[in-house]
Amino acid sequence: MAIVSALTERAFAARRQRDWDQLDALVRTAQARGLKRLTPDAIAALSPLYRDVCADLSRAEAARYSAPLIDYLQGLTADAHTVLYGHARGRWALAGGGSTWRVAVEAFPRAVRRHKVAMLLAFVLFFAPFFAGLFATLYDPSFAIRIVPEAQLRPLVEAYKEGFSSGRGSGMDAAMAGFYVNNNVGIALRCFATGLFFGVGSAFYLLENGLATGAIMGYVASKGAGDNILTFVVGHGSLELGAIVLAGGAGLALGWSIVAPGDRTRIASLQATARSVVIVVFGAAVMLFMAAAVEGFWSASALPALVKRAVGAAMFLVVTAYILLAGRGSDQAAAVERAEGIDRWT
Amino acid sequence: MLTGAPLDTDVAIETPEHIVFRHRLAGPSRRFLAFLLDLVICYTAFSILAFVVLLVAIGAAAATNAAEGAIGAGVGVLLVVLFGLQWVYFAVLEAWKGRTPGKAALGLRVVTTTGRPIGFRAAALRNVLRAADALPLAYTAGLLSLAGLVSMSTTRRFQRLGDLVAGTIVVIPERASVAAPLILFPPAQPFELAQLPDDVRLDADERLAIEMFLRRRARLGRARELELAHMIATPLAERFGFRAQDPSRTLALLYDRAANAGRVDAPPSSRTPGSWR
Repeated sequence: MAIVSALTERAFAARRQRDWDQLDALVRTAQARGLKRLTPDAIAALSPLYRDVCADLSRAEAARYSAPLIDYLQGLTADAHTVLYGHARGRWALAGGGSTWRVAVEAFPRAVRRHKVAMLLAFVLFFAPFFAGLFATLYDPSFAIRIVPEAQLRPLVEAYKEGFSSGRGSGMDAAMAGFYVNNNVGIALRCFATGLFFGVGSAFYLLENGLATGAIMGYVASKGAGDNILTFVVGHGSLELGAIVLAGGAGLALGWSIVAPGDRTRIASLQATARSVVIVVFGAAVMLFMAAAVEGFWSASALPALVKRAVGAAMFLVVTAYILLAGRGSDQAAAVERAEGIDRWT
Repeated sequence: MLTGAPLDTDVAIETPEHIVFRHRLAGPSRRFLAFLLDLVICYTAFSILAFVVLLVAIGAAAATNAAEGAIGAGVGVLLVVLFGLQWVYFAVLEAWKGRTPGKAALGLRVVTTTGRPIGFRAAALRNVLRAADALPLAYTAGLLSLAGLVSMSTTRRFQRLGDLVAGTIVVIPERASVAAPLILFPPAQPFELAQLPDDVRLDADERLAIEMFLRRRARLGRARELELAHMIATPLAERFGFRAQDPSRTLALLYDRAANAGRVDAPPSSRTPGSWR
C-alpha cells in the first residue's frame, strides 16, 4: 500500500500548523474558563477544527511522521475530545421538561422502592438487634455494659436524668449539630461504602449500630430516665435511624449485585447498581443533615415533652409517607430512569 | 514523552470519529502523592480557619460575656467544615474541574473509562467508596490503603475500588508541544549527496529508533554517541551501500533522506507483535 505523493512531514506541519494553534488556543480557553465562556464564533469553529485535527492525526499516523508530531496531535485530540464531549448534563431536566428539583425529590424514594428487598433486609438487620439490645438491657442492665463502655453510658444517664427544663446554650446546640453532621453522615457513608465487600460491611454497621442504640436506650430507661430519652429521640429518630437503614440498604444492594449479577458481568452489574442506588445515599445524607439540625436545636430544647412527642409522631408519618408514596406513577421520574438505564429493578 | 509503541500503562480510547488516542495511566505512587498533597492542603486550610474562628469566638465571648455560646458555635462550624473536607472536597472538585489541587500539581486528571469528564454522580461515588478502599489499615484517616492498593495492582487500568464502581480512571494528560523537526546540521555536503541513494526506505521502528537517537545525541558523550550509532548504522550502511565519515553522520543523512524526500511508503513495523515484551 504505497501512498505516492504524500507531503513531507515539514510541509504537512507547515500547512496545518495554523489550525492546530487555533484549536489549541480554543481548548486551553475552554479548559480554563469553561466551554460556555467561548464566543459563539469560537464554539462554531471548535467542532470542525476538532474533526480536521482528527483527520490530521490519522494522516500523520498513516504516513509514519515522526513520533513528536504524532504525540502532539494525539495530545491535542485527547484534550479537544475531553472538552467537546462533556459528560451528559441536564438529563434530569431534559427528560421531563420539569424542574430538576422535583425530579430529585421523586427519584430518591423511587430508588428506595426499586431496591425494596435490600432496604427491608437493612431494616431487619438494624431493628432486630435494636430491640434485642433494648429488651435485653431492660431485663438486665449489665447487658449494655458489655456492648458500650460504662464510661460512655454513665454521663448519658446523668444528662438524660437532668431533663431539658433549662435547655442547652445555643452555642452548645450548634456544636452538637456540627458533631452530628460530622459523625452521623460519616457513619452512613461508610455504612454504604463497605457494602462493596459483598454487603458484609453494611450488615456489620447496621447490626452494630442497632445493637448499641438499643442498649443505650434500654440502659438509660432502666436508670429511670426513659421518658426523657424518648422525648429527646422521637423528634429526629425517624430521620436519623431511617437514613442509616437506607444507606445500609444501598450498601447491601451494592454487595448483592456482585453476588448475583444476573445476565451481566459482575463489574457491569456493580456499576449499574451503583448508578441506581447512589441517589439513595445522597438522600440519606440530606436526611441526616436535617436530623442533625433537629437533634442539635430542637430535641434538647426546653419545649414541653408533649409538643416534642406530637411533632416527632408527625415527622415519623411524614418520613414514612414520603419514602413509601412520593413519586409513585410519576411519568417524568420514570422517563429519567429510562434515560439513565436504571429502571430495571422492579 | 516519545511514544513509539504503546506501553502497557497506556489506555487506548476510541472517539466517535474512530480516532484512537492514548492516555497515560497514573500509578499508585503518583496518586498517593497527590492524595497526600490534598490532605496537606485541606488540613493546613483547616488549621488556619480553626485559628481564626477560635480567635473570633474568644473575642465575641469576651465582648458579650457568653463564652460557652460563642465557642460552641465556632466548634459547630468547624465540625461541619471538617465533614466537608473529608467527604465533599474531593467529589465537588473532581466533578467541577476533573481534578483536585493535589491532582493538578502532579498532572493527574480523572476521566471516565471512555475518556470523558466525570459528572457529579461518578465523582461522589468514587470518593464515598474511598472508605472501602481505605480498609482495613487506615480506617479513619481515609488514606489509600490495602484494599485500594490490591485493587489498583490487580486491575489493568490501576483502578481502585471506587474507580471500578464509578467507571473512572486517573490519567496523566500530556500535551507535548510540537517538537521542532530535525534539521540536518551541517547540511548535506555535495560529496555526501553524491553517494546518498535516492530511495531510502526505513520502516517505522527504524525511523523511530534513529529519530530518538538523533534527538538525544547532543546530550551523549562523543564516544557513546558513536558506539550507539554504530550498532544500527552498520546494517543500514550495508543495506543502502552508503557510509559517511562516521556512523552518527550516516544515520543523520539516511534519516533526512527518508523523512524529507517526499516518500512515505514505509513498510509497517518489522517487529513481530509481542516479541519484545
